[in-house]
Amino acid sequence: MTVLERNNVKLGGLPDGPPMVFVHGFGCDQSMWREVTPAFAATRRIVTYDLTGMGGSELAAYDPRRHADLQAHADELIEILDALSLGEVCLVGHSIGATIALLAANRAPDRVSRLVMVSPSPAFLEDAEAGYRGGFAREEIEGLVALLDENHLGWSMQMAPTIAGQPAEDPSAVELTQSFCRTDPQIMSHFGRVTFFADRRADFEKAARPALVLHCDKDALVPMAVADWMRDRMPGATVEVLDATGHCPHMTVPETVVAAMGAHLGPA
Amino acid sequence: MSYIVGGGFDTAAELIEDAPCGIVVTDPDGRLRYVNATLAHWLGLPPGGDAARPTLASLLTGPGRIFYDTHLAPMMRLQGFAREISCRLDTASGTPLPVLLSGVSRRDAEGRCLRHDFTVFDARERHAYEKALQQAKREADELAAIVSSSPNAILRVDAAGHVRSWNAGATRLIGRSAEEAVGQPVARIVALTDRPGWFAEEMKGAGRGAEIVFEASQPDGRELEVTMAPIGTHGLPGVSEDWSVILRDITRRKHAERRLKVILGEMRHRMKNTLGVVAGLARQTLPKPHAESFVSRLQALSAAHDALGADGAEDMSGGGTAADLRLLIDTAARTAGDPARFEIDGPAVRLTARQATSLSMALHELVTNALKYGALSCESGRVRIDYRLDEATGRLSLRWRERGGPTVVPPTRRGFGTKMIGMVLKAELGGEIDFEFAPEGFSFEVVFPTR
Repeated sequence: MTVLERNNVKLGGLPDGPPMVFVHGFGCDQSMWREVTPAFAATRRIVTYDLTGMGGSELAAYDPRRHADLQAHADELIEILDALSLGEVCLVGHSIGATIALLAANRAPDRVSRLVMVSPSPAFLEDAEAGYRGGFAREEIEGLVALLDENHLGWSMQMAPTIAGQPAEDPSAVELTQSFCRTDPQIMSHFGRVTFFADRRADFEKAARPALVLHCDKDALVPMAVADWMRDRMPGATVEVLDATGHCPHMTVPETVVAAMGAHLGPA
Repeated sequence: MSYIVGGGFDTAAELIEDAPCGIVVTDPDGRLRYVNATLAHWLGLPPGGDAARPTLASLLTGPGRIFYDTHLAPMMRLQGFAREISCRLDTASGTPLPVLLSGVSRRDAEGRCLRHDFTVFDARERHAYEKALQQAKREADELAAIVSSSPNAILRVDAAGHVRSWNAGATRLIGRSAEEAVGQPVARIVALTDRPGWFAEEMKGAGRGAEIVFEASQPDGRELEVTMAPIGTHGLPGVSEDWSVILRDITRRKHAERRLKVILGEMRHRMKNTLGVVAGLARQTLPKPHAESFVSRLQALSAAHDALGADGAEDMSGGGTAADLRLLIDTAARTAGDPARFEIDGPAVRLTARQATSLSMALHELVTNALKYGALSCESGRVRIDYRLDEATGRLSLRWRERGGPTVVPPTRRGFGTKMIGMVLKAELGGEIDFEFAPEGFSFEVVFPTR
C-alpha cells in the first residue's frame, strides 16, 4: 500500500500549477472541499486526501497510540508531499485539519510556502488559569464522545429518506444513504477525543509560515476570543473575520471563502 | 370512502404547529427560520424566539452543538439529508431532553440549497432503552474479552456432554480448534486418564446448582484442574441445561508440590538424624541424670516434628507444615507411660510448626513434673486437659489440671522446667500463662493467639 493509496489522495487542477493541498477536519472527509477546489483548478495543482482513519483512507493504518498525537497526521501529510515531490505548497486546512497543516509546516517549512486556515482553533478547552477562552468545558467534550457512541448505532443501516416526489423504491434513493462523513465508530470516537482535547497553542505561537486565518463571527465551536488570540499570538498571521454562521464556511458560503483566499494568495 | 393524499388538506398548518413532534426550518447555514409550537414548548422558548439562540445548534446541549457543526451540517450540505441523529435539547428547565433529529435540505431547480427542514422526535423512552442495551453490550463485550483472552480453557457443554463453545485458551491448552471441538463429546475431546465418561459421571454425581472441582491427568501426562458449574440464564439457575467447564493446566503446580514433598521428607529425615547424634553426644559427655533429662527433652522436640504433617495434610498454601493439637497431647500422654490416666477434651485445632514445637516442649515439662512430684507420681493420680479455640479472636486456651496426687506444696523456687515453659510459651508464642498450686492438685493454663 502506497502513501497515496493509504490516504485516498486525489489529484486535480493544473498539473504544472503551484500545488495546493487541502486537509479536511474532524467528522468528515475530503468531500467537504468540493465547492472550493473548482475555483482554483484552472491555475493550480489541487491535491485532496482523507486523513488516516477517515473517509476512503486505509482504516487499518489508524493506530490509536500513534494517532493520539496530531503530529502523526502532520507527518503523514509530509509523506504525501514527499510522494508527490511537492514543494512551495499552499496548505489549506479546516478546523483540526488546519492545525495538522500548521504542524506539518512547522516541521517541514522548506516544503510549505503558506497556510490557509479555515475556522482553526489551537485549543477547544477553556484554560481559565491562562485566561484562554477556548469555548468548551471538559464535560462537554466527554459528552461529545458519548454522543458519537450513540450515533453510530444506526449508521450502517441508514436508509435514504423518502424525498418528496421521489418513488420510495427508486434505486438512486437507496444509494443515497448516509455515506458521507462516516467512518469506523471507534476511530471516530478516538479522533474526536484527540481533536477536542488537543492543545496546540505553543505550536501556533511558533508558526513557521504566514497564515491566512478565516474565522466566522457566528461560529458555535470557535469563540471570537480565539480569533483574537491568534491575531495577537501567531507570527505572520492575517486573521479575517467572515460575516457567517457556523463552523464550515467552505460549505455554507464557499464563494466568500474563495474570494478571501483569492485576494490573499493573488494570481498563481 | 375516500381521503386526501398529499396537498389540499386545509388543516395542514394547524397540524404542523401542534404536531406530536418538533418541526424546525433553518437557513442553509443553520439559522432558525421557524420553530413549531411543540418544540418551542419542549424548549421553553418565548414567543418570538430567543435572540441568544439564533441557530439550530444553539438549541442543543454543548456536545450536540459540536456534533451539529462537525457532522450534521456537513451531511446536510453534502448529501442533503440526515436521519435519526441522537442528541439532546438544551431546555429551559435545565434537564436535557434526548431527541432524534432528522433533516432534509430543500434545493431549487439549479441545486442551490434553499433551506433545511428538520423533525425532532422525543426519544426519552428509546434513549433509556438504548442506554440499557449499550450497558448490556458493554458488559457482554467485557466478559467476552475476558473469556477469549483467558489462559484457561473455558467451554460451554450441553447436558448431553457435547461441546457448544470453545475459547482460544481451550485451543492452546487442548490443541484442538473450535471447529474440531464444537459438537463433539467433551469427554472425548478432553481425554482424562482412566475416565472415558468423566463429564457424565461428574454431572450425575452433583446436584444442579453445585460447583464441581476435581483434578485429573491427561494421557500425555499433563495435569488439569477441572471446574464444572451449571450455567444460569439471566441469573436464573435451571433455565439452561448447559454447563461451564473450565480447565486449568496445573502440571507445573503439581510438579512443584511433589518436589516440595520430597524436600520436606529429606529435611525431616536429616533433622531426626541430627537430634539422634546430639542425644548420643549428650549421653557420652553429660553426667547421667542430666543426660537423661536433656535427652528426654530432645525426644519431645523430635516427637513434635513427627507430628508435623503426620496426617498427610500438609498445608502448602501457608508455606509450612501443620500439626493437630490432639496428636501433640496424645504423644505427651504416651511418654507419661499410661495414656489412660489422661482425660482430654477439645476440638480439632491445626497449629503451625512453631506453635507445635513450643507447645510440645511445654507439655513435656508438665508431664515430667507430674511424674516426679505431681499427680502421676502415684497410682490414683489423673490429669485432665481441655482446650478451646475462640473462632472470633483466634485465641487458644489450654488448661492442664492434676487431681488425686499427693498434697501440693507450692515450690520455694522456680525450677528449670517452669522457666522453660515460660520461655517457650511467653516468648515464642506470645501467650499468657498461669500456674496454680492448690493443695488438691497443680493446675496450669495458657492462652495464646493462633493467628
